[in-house]
Amino acid sequence: MRLLSTLLIGISSGSIYALMALALVLVWRSTRVVNFAQAGQAIASTYIGYVVITHTNNYWLALPVAIMAGALIGALSDILLIRPLNKRITSGPVKEIAPVIATLGLLGLIRSLVGVIWGGDLKRYNAPVSINGFTFGHTTIPFSRFNLLIVFTAVAVMAIFAFVFQRTGLGLALRASAFQPEIARLAGVRVDLVRTVGWAIAGATGAIAGVLITPSTSLSPNSLDLLLVLGFVSAVIGGLESLIGAAIGGAILGIGLALILEYVSTSLAFPAAFIVLMLVLIIKPSGILGSKAGRDA
Amino acid sequence: MFAKRSSKFAVLATASVAVAALTLGALPAQAFNPRSEAGVTATTIKLGITTPLTGSAAPGYSKVPAAMQAYFNYVNDNGGVYGRKIQLTVKDDGYIPTTAVANAKSMSNGVLAYVANLGTANNNAIAKSPVVGLAANRIPSIFINTGYSGFADRTKFPTMYPIFPSYIMEAKIMGQYIKENFAGKKLGLIYQDDDFGSDALAGFKTAGVKFDVAIPYASGSQSAAAGAGWVGKLKAAGAEVVVMFGVTSATGAALGASAVLGYKAQWILGSVGGDATTLKALGVPAAVLTGSIGASFLPGTTDTKDEYIKQFQDVNAKYNAGASFDNNVLVAMNSAMLTVEALRAAGKNLTRDSLMAAIEKKGATFASAAFSPILYSPTSHVGYSGYWFGKYDPSGAMLPDGGTYSLYTTDSGAGAVVKATIKRPAMPAKGLPNNS
Amino acid sequence: MLKSKPIRFLLLILVAGVLFLLGNVLPDYRVYEGATASIYVIAIASIILLTGYSGQISLGHGALMAIGGYAAVLSRKYWHTSGVISLIIAVLAAALFGVILGYAAARLRGPYLAGTTLALAVGLPSLANQFHFLGGEQGLNFDIGAPPKFLGSNFSTTKWYFWICSIAALIIFWLVQNLLHSRYGRQWKAMRSAPVSAALAGINIARSKVLAFIISSGVAGLAGALLVMTLNLVTPSEFPLSLSFAIVTGAVLAGIARLPGAVVGALIIVAIPDLADQIATKIGGAERISANLPGFITSLLLILTILFAPNGAKIGKLVSHGSTRT
Repeated sequence: MRLLSTLLIGISSGSIYALMALALVLVWRSTRVVNFAQAGQAIASTYIGYVVITHTNNYWLALPVAIMAGALIGALSDILLIRPLNKRITSGPVKEIAPVIATLGLLGLIRSLVGVIWGGDLKRYNAPVSINGFTFGHTTIPFSRFNLLIVFTAVAVMAIFAFVFQRTGLGLALRASAFQPEIARLAGVRVDLVRTVGWAIAGATGAIAGVLITPSTSLSPNSLDLLLVLGFVSAVIGGLESLIGAAIGGAILGIGLALILEYVSTSLAFPAAFIVLMLVLIIKPSGILGSKAGRDA
Repeated sequence: MFAKRSSKFAVLATASVAVAALTLGALPAQAFNPRSEAGVTATTIKLGITTPLTGSAAPGYSKVPAAMQAYFNYVNDNGGVYGRKIQLTVKDDGYIPTTAVANAKSMSNGVLAYVANLGTANNNAIAKSPVVGLAANRIPSIFINTGYSGFADRTKFPTMYPIFPSYIMEAKIMGQYIKENFAGKKLGLIYQDDDFGSDALAGFKTAGVKFDVAIPYASGSQSAAAGAGWVGKLKAAGAEVVVMFGVTSATGAALGASAVLGYKAQWILGSVGGDATTLKALGVPAAVLTGSIGASFLPGTTDTKDEYIKQFQDVNAKYNAGASFDNNVLVAMNSAMLTVEALRAAGKNLTRDSLMAAIEKKGATFASAAFSPILYSPTSHVGYSGYWFGKYDPSGAMLPDGGTYSLYTTDSGAGAVVKATIKRPAMPAKGLPNNS
Repeated sequence: MLKSKPIRFLLLILVAGVLFLLGNVLPDYRVYEGATASIYVIAIASIILLTGYSGQISLGHGALMAIGGYAAVLSRKYWHTSGVISLIIAVLAAALFGVILGYAAARLRGPYLAGTTLALAVGLPSLANQFHFLGGEQGLNFDIGAPPKFLGSNFSTTKWYFWICSIAALIIFWLVQNLLHSRYGRQWKAMRSAPVSAALAGINIARSKVLAFIISSGVAGLAGALLVMTLNLVTPSEFPLSLSFAIVTGAVLAGIARLPGAVVGALIIVAIPDLADQIATKIGGAERISANLPGFITSLLLILTILFAPNGAKIGKLVSHGSTRT
């Protein structure tokens, strides 16, 4: 029973990490950029969703608005920042680290803007469905309708992405633009546009993650910071090359953390993330589903 | 040849530019105009505060400086302190000790005293830093915003004046309350695994309270998932009475999880994490909070029958741009009032030493909203020393047990917990101190 | 084309002289900032070596600084080592950890390494709360001692710390610069820009990378120990994630592969809160604005720099010719 509870807790938190990881992997696979601004885009969209909720008290209205905001912010991030970056830096010592720094800068920028507009106080988001655990007879498990919604959303997003990437023209264009932009261009792919679409989708995913996690805690400019780290770690665990890997990575991290906190010590939260990551990377340095094929950068 | 020379000049040029840039911003008036006392002129008194305004520790606490300045402005509009207006220099440290020390250093020549600096780690770093020289330069750090018991040690921290009852006191008092009301029940404890928590553990130990299950958490790691884990352990141990001695976000996680898991227990919330407004913002359902026991040394924030509350709410509405009046604002204004009284008591010849002497000699008589006596004296830097217990009602207001505030007091050592009669000084007219 | 050693040495002496003057002229607070800036110079140098030259990303150098800091404190506490020895132990301890990290890093590609170092930065410092001998949140004291008597009784502790930090920075600058101009430096540059050719030329890529990590870690460890020295205290919260980010930011502002730029990067990082403060007081906005302004300015500056001067501000270019070719 204790184990089952722990696993359920791990799955519900893992599904949130998975959403964040999915967004990170999406941007990575379509642009070869690790998007640290993911948390910033997510928090900005979540605040916009918050504005909708305060005016309409309708979560199901706030969610799509946040998604659209996320897509817009994602697209703008690409157009205003990443595109000029790629044009200017085509080689050199900065090439690999430049997008990391740029997205870090963007994260800080968005976060301070959010702080100025809405202030640092905690804001409230109510969940659209019950957050109380399902009850079976006398026992209540730590898994509620809301957790089910989150898991379902994570799986759905993953399935949709996997489909789009593997089966559609857009997905092919995304992968081609990331892997060999010059060849893709020659083949008639509008690389820049495709990449912006990728960023938009990632921004939307981040918005979903933000809007889904906030009801269990609260909203403040820094409330998604930890999620960024854990989402990134999940993505790495899963292997940055695979969307399914991202979901698996999230599950592994979520369950791993829950197990360590339950059976070892409740105060080991931060080292635990590192331990789980190391355990995976020692066995598989490119992550669970990461490919070994040597792609630089 | 030319290249080498030009590069040498370049270095010199760089260095000069750097020096100029640093120096230009660096010349405060004080450098050229040595005052008799830092932070005091004929017309102004400068105080300084370093506290988290951004970062994950900021929510809630970021309200403190504005609330203090609001009260100071109220006093300034009514004559100030013997004609001097109080200015509060506010610096953000993001709850990082390195930044806190740098902030303290940057203000050390410009302010009379630090007031309400926040955080155990930050205050510790500031106190220990020879760069700031808190003790060596006799810079007062008054009414610090933490309950860590160590700061009341006059030999280690001669210029620090804590005001909150220490966490040890709170734990001892809670322990007494538990023994009186919940003898024989299974007890659980959730605490933060740093000095905040170890102070609590020490207090419970002195009080002779044994917990059937004690759950530490790492500061910053509290989340809904973590909360679910804690509640799981509480359930497994069958805890009927649970002490939640953590910060508000941890309290929110624990209470939220117990709602989700349908776990029913008698919760006792520590004062640090007990602000109902913040807990509501964290999504704690009213059903879970109602009936929980809380501890405080100040009146409830919604108790408008209380003269101090009414006055502070008034000041808040007029001078604080209508920020919501929660526990953070109340504590801030209370400390601000004490600050004004201390400044007044120091006399017209205001110096750092006269300020500290005033707190030691007259601090015990200062009027404030707290029900606890103030224990400042030439041999004691302990401020408040007691708590009252109440229950949260459905609106989130904490109402005293039995309708009247009854106070427990104790010390941070092995002294007994005593039920005390409350003799709170009347509020000076209109909340404007008139002491001397 | 590369500057000769004697010239560079002279330049350093020159800078040392300027710093000496500054230490006596500037107000105490600026001197303290100078000490902080020197620490950043050292930390940024470690990133320039690691990322700019050997091409490995680390978002967790704050954790390495933490190791250096705790090592210095513990050695002084339990072995009563002198100040200098404590600092050296800090370097060794961090370098030792760098061996492990380096071997792990050699197996991990870019973003995986970034993720690992990120998790390290978040996970390592909080370990101090687990083991009581590490002092927990209260931390452990660290006193490098008062200034020696011959400097006079008026020699403030701040100035003393500034001297130690800036001399350490100059020494590190000298050593790292020599290293970067040496065979190893050329190996790293080759590895980074043309790995296949480098391997063909007989460079042992993995070993070279690990070496870079070890040295970078040791340097970061020194920075951590100096940080702890200026605070007289070591606690986990001195090494938050934002510290790791700040160092990388400084390295980028410096020009990731230009060592002299480390000074510029460090000065900018130290100057921004003050600058933001002054701007905030001028425009007199609400607390929301003044509180978020430093973060805003840093981020904006970072973005502008990476967009328009990705290889560092022009200052760097003036001082180092020859190392600009990538």
